[in-house]
Amino acid sequence: MAEEADFKCLRCGHRFKAPYSPKDEPQERACPQCGSNSVRRIKEKAKGK
Amino acid sequence: MEIERAETEELRIGVFVCYCGLNISGTVDCEAVAEYARGLKDVVVVNTNRYTCSEPGQQTIKDHIKEHNLNRVVVASCTPLMHEPTFRAACQEVGLNPYLLEMVNLREHCSWVHMHEPEKATEKAKDMVKMGVSRARYLQPQIEKEVSVDKSALVIGGGIAGIQASLDLANAGYQVYLVEKKPSIGGTMAQIDKTFPTMDCSI
Amino acid sequence: MTDVGRHPRIELLTLSEVVDVQGYIGNFRIKVLRKARYVDEKECTACSDCLEVCPVTKPNEFDLGLSTRKAIYQPFPQAVPSAFVLNLEDCLGNNPIACGKCAEACDLKCIDYDMQDKEVEFRVGTVIVATGMDVYDPTELDEFGYTRFENVITSLEFERLINSGGPTEGHLIRPTDWQLPKRVAFIQCIGSRSEKRGNPYCSNICCMNTVKDSLLIKDHWPEVEIKVFYMDIRAFGKGFEDLYKRSKAAGVMYIRGIPGDIREDPEAKNLILLSEDRNEGKVVEHEVDMVILSVGLVPNSDSPIIRQLLTLSQTSDGFFMEAHPKLLPVDAPTKGVFFAGCAEAPKDIKDSVTQASAAASRANILMSAGKITIEAITSHIDEELCKACGICARVCPYHAIEFDKEKKLPARVIEASCHGCGACAAECTFGAITMRHFTDQQIISQIESALGENPQDKVVVFACNWCSYAGGDFAGISRLQYPPSVRIIRTMCSGRVDEKFVLHAFKLGAPIVLVSGCHFADCHYISANRWTQKRVEKLWDKLEKKGVRPERLQLEWISAAEGLKFAKVMKEMEELRKGVTMEEIEYTQKEL
Repeated sequence: MAEEADFKCLRCGHRFKAPYSPKDEPQERACPQCGSNSVRRIKEKAKGK
Repeated sequence: MEIERAETEELRIGVFVCYCGLNISGTVDCEAVAEYARGLKDVVVVNTNRYTCSEPGQQTIKDHIKEHNLNRVVVASCTPLMHEPTFRAACQEVGLNPYLLEMVNLREHCSWVHMHEPEKATEKAKDMVKMGVSRARYLQPQIEKEVSVDKSALVIGGGIAGIQASLDLANAGYQVYLVEKKPSIGGTMAQIDKTFPTMDCSI
Repeated sequence: MTDVGRHPRIELLTLSEVVDVQGYIGNFRIKVLRKARYVDEKECTACSDCLEVCPVTKPNEFDLGLSTRKAIYQPFPQAVPSAFVLNLEDCLGNNPIACGKCAEACDLKCIDYDMQDKEVEFRVGTVIVATGMDVYDPTELDEFGYTRFENVITSLEFERLINSGGPTEGHLIRPTDWQLPKRVAFIQCIGSRSEKRGNPYCSNICCMNTVKDSLLIKDHWPEVEIKVFYMDIRAFGKGFEDLYKRSKAAGVMYIRGIPGDIREDPEAKNLILLSEDRNEGKVVEHEVDMVILSVGLVPNSDSPIIRQLLTLSQTSDGFFMEAHPKLLPVDAPTKGVFFAGCAEAPKDIKDSVTQASAAASRANILMSAGKITIEAITSHIDEELCKACGICARVCPYHAIEFDKEKKLPARVIEASCHGCGACAAECTFGAITMRHFTDQQIISQIESALGENPQDKVVVFACNWCSYAGGDFAGISRLQYPPSVRIIRTMCSGRVDEKFVLHAFKLGAPIVLVSGCHFADCHYISANRWTQKRVEKLWDKLEKKGVRPERLQLEWISAAEGLKFAKVMKEMEELRKGVTMEEIEYTQKEL
């Protein structure tokens, strides 16, 4: 099972899960709802905020 | 933020605002933009032109560089991806380093995209010219250096592609070093019997 | 091939590997390790006297182990150079007690057991990478039984079997009983077009290779029954469809559907294929005497070494990446380096030859001019300010910055290798790097002018020269209307956008800042925009810590063709701008 992380779109506010591993090469991300690339990974400690 | 503003030479900036027929002037009040540019620091001459990229338009830039001893040129017209080479050449012809030219994209990034808001477009155009003039104040001459190219080539891999490239280059007169890991050239192609689509022998 | 061996201007270095590349376009210094052949290449006449006395027998690699060779051998009869080669690992050695027979048998005395590996150095102006590919090893696809059943072979092994110069002198046999197989099955797309195992891409040549192989069999043994199991037959090239039709006319059966499983009849050693005929819509059993797996192509196993030596990149399929997929298809991102053949992607012989000539021509253009003007927009490192941290060297996509970790000397830019993205200048925390024509001063002065009056009404947009700025141009050309609040600042690459530019804009009262660049696949500086993303992610954290909404910093990848997206994003920026209050702006100015 691929590792996942929580992401938040800083354009429309949509939150979603996507495959992520700290070992991965950086990759282009887009919000599945609005298509924006302003997608921020929500780190563990910031969860639920 | 503290940035060094020290200038050793006196700045003499020329601003050339282009109408581009009606492409820019149909939306943006070019004369108002020119008037605004006259008030900007270090600007010594401002000119408007129907088509700055035309021969007479370029001549105007060249004449003004000479007449006013300009050491920076700002052309407010279309995208630099189109006419930057044109205006750089014009500068160079009269002895001004081509990197002392700055372009402001009034057409693609302003008049064409704010066609229904001429007043706001004109205000934006003024801001854009101001940004261009500010940047121009810090432009420095750049030299495009030349390096020599050795007339010899390294080809890595002696399969069909490496063989073809080596022969082409050697026949063109260059020294070629063909490096192959295996004891013989030929690569995968040499292992194949007949080749498609003509069914001829591979070797 | 023989033309290469006798060309006066080609120096052929076999058993050789490039071990070091220094320098830059027009002036590469190459180091090659030339392994010892133990046979004098110039003297050897390939008379075979040595071969007859050699007591060692080993599998012949050229025939994929389907035949044998001696410790001293010629890889194949048409080999260039034609000289024999002695594999010292297989050789019993020049010990009179152990062996030494070949040296005795050689009249010309061209065998030298003491020959040493040699390092050869030379300078070149251009480099052509023609490192080719490997064929896919179907071991992992256990359902096809390649390792379990002897009569399952690969398409390349088949090539050796049907080759008159091969181990069977061109007689088609199956491995278990050395008899002509009466029923043969080809299975296509082995290791290709699969997301799960093998590779997701189409290997380009396998369909036509099978069509050709089927005809080779039919031409010699028309009675052999041939079934080809396939997903799609891709016969797209000149003359391909004709050949495919000829194969069908010769009676080759094409069955749509890849067998899910192969069983072996333990006695007859025949193979039973279970497959769904998708055209007929039913599951059918096929018994055949031999199965040929039409294996795909994979990147050469040496690619990583070459990639590192020449600072190249790879596309997601593992093959080398071109400088531009359409407009510079044979240029490598490193100036002065070109691709030929399968190193860049799987291709057939015709395409390999075409690309090789194109690569030679591209190299010729550089060399015939004899000189090249290098980019004026390059970075410069101030030795006084450089703290020798090495970050700039790490972020440079072109390895154009020389930095010695041990010596801790100031980093140095190789100007001829620098492409001018500016990622180094943006990452340098000591202000030691000046990006020519896109200096900090120049960019900051634009920010200050843009936000000089009523900053709360402006959106600051950083746009890269090649994609997002051009995308803005395309929006203009298409007359797509968007709000006049945006102020665009052009950089060569989004990788140039320094953290301090963004923070400075906020400090001056910008409600929204957008950093835009090329899509990852389009980055004109290989991978410089990966650093843009990392930097923006860091800035989001930083802003949040200071109590500033990270939403005020936006990121977008916009291609030169995406005028529509550019206009849409600008409208979205204006909407976001309207949501930023004066209190927020004032707070930000105070905090930063």
